[in-house]
Amino acid sequence: MPVTHATGWGRTNFALSRSEQPESIGQLGDLVTSTKDDRGILAHGLRRSYGDSSLNSGGLSIGLENIASISIAPETGVATVGAGASIRSLEYKAREFNLFPPVVPGTGFVTIGGAIAADIHGKSHHVTGTFSSSVERIQLLLASGELVNLLPTGESASQFWATVGGLGLTGIITEADIRLRTIATPFVQVEETREPNLSRLLNALKSADSDFEHTVAWIDLSGDFRGRGVVGKGNYENHPHPSRNKQSDGLSFPNIGKVSLINPLTVRAFNEVWYRKPLASGKKSLSAFMHPLDGVQHWNRMYGNSGFFQYQFVVPDGNEDFIEGVLATMRDAKVASFLGVLKRFGAQSPAYLSFPKPGWTLAIDIPQGVKNLEAIFNSLDEELCRREGRIYLIKDARIRPEHVPVMYPRLNEWQKVRALMDPSNLWQSDQSRRLNLC
Amino acid sequence: MLNGFKSPQTIALIGSTSEIGQAILKHLPLENLSTCYLASRSPSPIVGISSKAAFVPIAFEATDTHSHEKFVQQLFSQGDLDLAIIAIGALGNDSTLSDEANALNAMQVNYVAASYIMALIAKKMVEQGHGRILVISSFAQTRPRNDNFAYGSTKAGLDFMARGLNEKLRGTGVSVCVLRPGFVRTRMTHGMVEAPFTVSAEVVGKVAASLIKSKKSVGYAPSILKPLALIFSLLPPAVFRKISQR
Repeated sequence: MPVTHATGWGRTNFALSRSEQPESIGQLGDLVTSTKDDRGILAHGLRRSYGDSSLNSGGLSIGLENIASISIAPETGVATVGAGASIRSLEYKAREFNLFPPVVPGTGFVTIGGAIAADIHGKSHHVTGTFSSSVERIQLLLASGELVNLLPTGESASQFWATVGGLGLTGIITEADIRLRTIATPFVQVEETREPNLSRLLNALKSADSDFEHTVAWIDLSGDFRGRGVVGKGNYENHPHPSRNKQSDGLSFPNIGKVSLINPLTVRAFNEVWYRKPLASGKKSLSAFMHPLDGVQHWNRMYGNSGFFQYQFVVPDGNEDFIEGVLATMRDAKVASFLGVLKRFGAQSPAYLSFPKPGWTLAIDIPQGVKNLEAIFNSLDEELCRREGRIYLIKDARIRPEHVPVMYPRLNEWQKVRALMDPSNLWQSDQSRRLNLC
Repeated sequence: MLNGFKSPQTIALIGSTSEIGQAILKHLPLENLSTCYLASRSPSPIVGISSKAAFVPIAFEATDTHSHEKFVQQLFSQGDLDLAIIAIGALGNDSTLSDEANALNAMQVNYVAASYIMALIAKKMVEQGHGRILVISSFAQTRPRNDNFAYGSTKAGLDFMARGLNEKLRGTGVSVCVLRPGFVRTRMTHGMVEAPFTVSAEVVGKVAASLIKSKKSVGYAPSILKPLALIFSLLPPAVFRKISQR
């Protein structure tokens, strides 16, 4: 069995594991039942998790790229999708029938299995909820080798909601039914506004939520860190317009080795241009609007070999001063970031470990190598715990294990359901070991 | 597990009463530390380290090699071990001609026990697919001198073993690094005549911490000893004898 070296998207965590890519669900089942290994098994998709959620040092790592069939029933609008299929390929196929997944993340390079296991969200969270709100069925391979169908209600509901957001630790998701929504055109009507400071930015986002299905803000994390930014809002375009349905891979960022292009100077310059750029308004293609990160492939290489962290948290309403505090902390630590994404969340999903909850979420990319960054993150985490906030586990590469039960108060319930589903502790990841999840 | 900063979550300090060992611990990034095993003959807590981690004393008798396997199992019983610092050591005073028993003890502790425990830990780390081991060798292993060759030979043996093991471990995710300190001011060397480039345990701790974080397999403390080691090994015997005389 080949041993491969893998990293998370942030290139800060590494793992050596034996790796397999089964051709079919049948072959996957044989592989799982024949594996006896203390280090366990973990399935992975496109490895867009930032830290060690997709890594399994010393164990078996199973790639699901060959389990990626997509079939759509146009009359019901439900897609039956192999876990290894990407959101992007599902979107492409769905558009043939004027359908579209109701929840898509900032990148289309996420598999259906990964989207469920992280209970991902998108710009539409305040309206649609998380990805799991459109999942009607999950087919899961249990440690026993048995394939089961889990539904969001009824007898299997607790297993369904433990698998949603369950980081691949309840079994291997092999297939799912996704309810799609109809779209009149593959376009979005977009509006942007420029806001000069944090309070204006927060207000603009808040008021946009009632009129727009998709809202998000880019926040300038450089210079004087007063929280200026650009609010992007969009609704599906309803007036038909001829269009092409084409998948483009965009450009690819070269491997630049040890060098990092990210420093306060380049970030400052980029952010100035980004803030001043002409505001978009009118029609924009769905994929360009939904997946702004996909214009350049391998953009994570921009940070050089030492990689970067994404700090994404959510705090409940009334904790706007925490966001200000984060900006002040970054200013004092002289950390500039060109990716700062702010969004308001809607209701919490029924999944035990789902990240979004009502309030504000901010995601910040920060290069490795900033002085005292580890301690800075830890003290922000402590403050987050006091304010009933939490860190997004799929972005995590470094939180301390004792913070997890505070951030995720239903961890204990999840652990009980999980233990019944996997009594032999077959499903493991570097993150589950680091955070004592199982 | 290491986190994204490559900061260890679980550390074992074997020879936890060693001043150098403790100094290394103080200079390591401890933000991610959850458990630190302190292994020594009569385990005692460490002072002067602020960390949220649990410091767990474990009894360890270096010369009782039969007990080592069970001891290593304990180190891995709560999960992965990210870093092992092997800091056990005994000074084989003078030479074998004056105190053979002392030299025998140094051989048993510095070479036999340290090499064996290192190999046992490495084996378990290979199973987990990651891990780093730091072994404390000595500048004295560079070239035999008439006043400390017994001690030097034990460290030379350990050094050789560690580097060999590191070669063997390539591609497993596990690695061993060797630290070669010069004369260090500690309880062990108290009362002895200090050699040139004598340093404190703190300095050694700092060098060791950066060696652990790097990908290097050999480090000197202080770093000036690295070119000096090369010069020492190239000198003609007569010249070396003359300059190494105390």
